Amino acid sequence: MIDIAIKNLGTRKVRTVLCALAVLAGVFLMGVTLVMNDWMYGTMTAELAKYLGKIYVQQGESTYPPFDSTMSQNTAAAILERTDLGLNLAESTSLIFVRTERGMMPFMSAEKMVIGVPAGREAILIGNVTADSGLDHFAAGEHGNVAILGETSAEGFNAEVGQDIVINGTEVRVIGILEKSSMDSVNIAAIMPMETVQRIFAKQGQVSSVLLTPQDVRETAEVAVRLEQDYPAFGVATQDDMLAEAEQVMKMPLMYMSSMGVTGMIVAMIVIMSTMFMTVTERTREFGTLRALGARQRIVVSTVLIEALILALIGVPPAMGLVYLMSKAMETTPPDAVKLVLIVLFTVVAAMVGAAYPAWRAARVEPLEALRYE
Amino acid sequence: MYTTIVETKNVCKTFGLNGVAVEAVRGIDLTVNAGEFVALVGPSGSGKSSLLYLVGAMDSPTSGEVLFEGHDLAKLRDGPRTDLRAKKIGFIFQTFNLLPTLNAFENVEIAMRLGGMGRSERQSRAAELLERVGLSERAKHQSRHLSGGERQRVAIARALGNRPSLLLADEPTGNLDSKTSTGILELLRAICSEDGQTVIMVTHDFRAASYADRVMVMRDGRIRGETKLQAGQDTTQAMEKLLKLEFQ
Repeated sequence: MIDIAIKNLGTRKVRTVLCALAVLAGVFLMGVTLVMNDWMYGTMTAELAKYLGKIYVQQGESTYPPFDSTMSQNTAAAILERTDLGLNLAESTSLIFVRTERGMMPFMSAEKMVIGVPAGREAILIGNVTADSGLDHFAAGEHGNVAILGETSAEGFNAEVGQDIVINGTEVRVIGILEKSSMDSVNIAAIMPMETVQRIFAKQGQVSSVLLTPQDVRETAEVAVRLEQDYPAFGVATQDDMLAEAEQVMKMPLMYMSSMGVTGMIVAMIVIMSTMFMTVTERTREFGTLRALGARQRIVVSTVLIEALILALIGVPPAMGLVYLMSKAMETTPPDAVKLVLIVLFTVVAAMVGAAYPAWRAARVEPLEALRYE
Repeated sequence: MYTTIVETKNVCKTFGLNGVAVEAVRGIDLTVNAGEFVALVGPSGSGKSSLLYLVGAMDSPTSGEVLFEGHDLAKLRDGPRTDLRAKKIGFIFQTFNLLPTLNAFENVEIAMRLGGMGRSERQSRAAELLERVGLSERAKHQSRHLSGGERQRVAIARALGNRPSLLLADEPTGNLDSKTSTGILELLRAICSEDGQTVIMVTHDFRAASYADRVMVMRDGRIRGETKLQAGQDTTQAMEKLLKLEFQ
C-alpha cells in the first residue's frame, strides 16, 4: 500500500509540502534543542572539569563565578597561610571577580568580566593556556593598569596587544591576548593584577574567593570538610558542589529549551492529524470503495498510517541538515547517531499518534455508506 | 462448484430514516444459479439496490437469511465478510468508483491485491482483462482521463480480477449514453455467456434488462413478477408484461 500512499500524497502536492514543512520545523526545533542542551551542558562541564581537585572558599550561597561573593583580603591571606590542611599553597590563590556585562541568555552569568589575580599567580587561573600574542603573565609585583585578555574578550574589545582599552572608566593597556581556553570564564575575561582590579572597582581590601589546591587530589573532600568547620561563615565548594549547583542553575534553561523542542513536535503532530483528517474526510468514498472491494479494516488503517509516516519522514532529512548547519555555525557537535535515531523515533511516534484517529475513522467507513456518499 | 450461488429466504431490510422506519426489502425469496444473468428492474426506491447490497455482503438483513454458496452471510463477522467480498464477489457501480490516483491497470490490479493474488499473476491477469474489455491501449491512463464508458469497462475488468463466483452490477449504465450503454451491456452478456460468469444486475431500464436471462420486477420492496428470456427470441412481449407489473 506504500505505492498508493505515495500516489495519494503526490496528487495533493501543496498539502503534502505544507505538512512536510510543519514537520521539518518541529524536527528542526527538536534537533536544535538537543544541540543547544548539549552545548550548554558541555560548556558547563568543560568549565568545571578544570576544577578537579580544586576548592573554592567564597561567600555563602554564591555561584560560580562568584561575582556576589565578598571576603576580606586578610581572611583570604590567613587561609592561604594554613599549612596544617595539606594544601599545595604554590597552586592556591585569592581571586576577585567583577562582572562588567550581563549574559545575553538566562544561563550565561556574564558576557564580559574582569578577574583579578595576584601577579605571579596567573597560571593557577589560566592553566596551560599560552598567549596568542604578547604576554601570558604579569611582571613580578605588577599593579599597574594592564590586562591580559581572553580570546573572546579581545574580540569584544576589538583590541590588540599594546592598545589601551577602557574598563570601568579607566584606561588599561593590553599586554597579552590568550589562545582559546576550554574555560569560558577565561575566554570572556580581562585578567588583571589583583591590586589594579581592587583600585579600579573600589574594592580595596576585598577579594571574591580563595582557590585552593590540596596536595593530594584524593583528599579534596576531606580538606573541604575541615575548611567548612574552620570557616563556617563561608561556603566551601569542590568541583562536585559546583557541578551540582551549576546543574541546578541550568535546570530551568534546559527545561525551557526542551519544552520548545517538544512543543515543535506537538505542533507537527497536530498538523499531521489535521492533514490526515482532511484527507480521510475527502476520501470517504474511496475508502468505502476499498472496503467494498475487500480491503480489511487493517488495510485501510495501514494506508492512512503509511501516508502520515511518509509525510513525517519527508521532513526529517532536510531538518537534520539544517540542525547540522546550525551546530556547525555554533561550533558545537551535531547530534550523534543515537540522537538521530531518537529524533526519527520521536517523529514516527508523533506521526502515528497524529494519524491514529483519522485512520480509525477511515477504517470505520462502511462500504455501503461510501457508495451512497455524494 | 455450487449450483446455487445465492439464495435469500424471506429476507427483510428496514432502515431508519429521520426516525421513520423504511422497509426497503420485504420478505424476498430469491435463488440465483451459477452462470445465470439476472436483472432486477424497478423504479427508484423499489428496494432493488438494497437487495443487491444484501446479496453482496455489504449490508446485513434485518431478518431472514442470505445464503452465499450455502453460507449464511448474517453469521459472518466483518473480516470473513470482507474476505468474501474480495475473493468471491465482483462489484460494478453506477458511478464506476475507480480510485482516482491510480491508472486503469492499477485499478484493475488493486482488487486482486486485496484478494491476495501474487504480483506476477495479477499483473498478467490485469493485462488479460484489460484486453478482454478492449482497453489495452488505455492501461496507463489515469481514470480521470478515461471516458465514462472506458471507466465502466475498467470497473468490469476490476470486478472480474479474482474470478468471482458472482458479479453484481448496480445500474452499470446509469451514467452512460445509450451507445456506450449498449457496449457495456453486450460486454456483460458476453462475460456471462462465454465465461459462465453469474451476474446480478440492478437497473431501472427495461432495455438494459433485456440482456439478462431472467428479469425480476421489484416494487415497494417486493418482487412483483419475473420472466425468463431466451437468447435470440423477441423479448418485446415479455418485457411489456413486466412493465405493466411495475405500474400495477
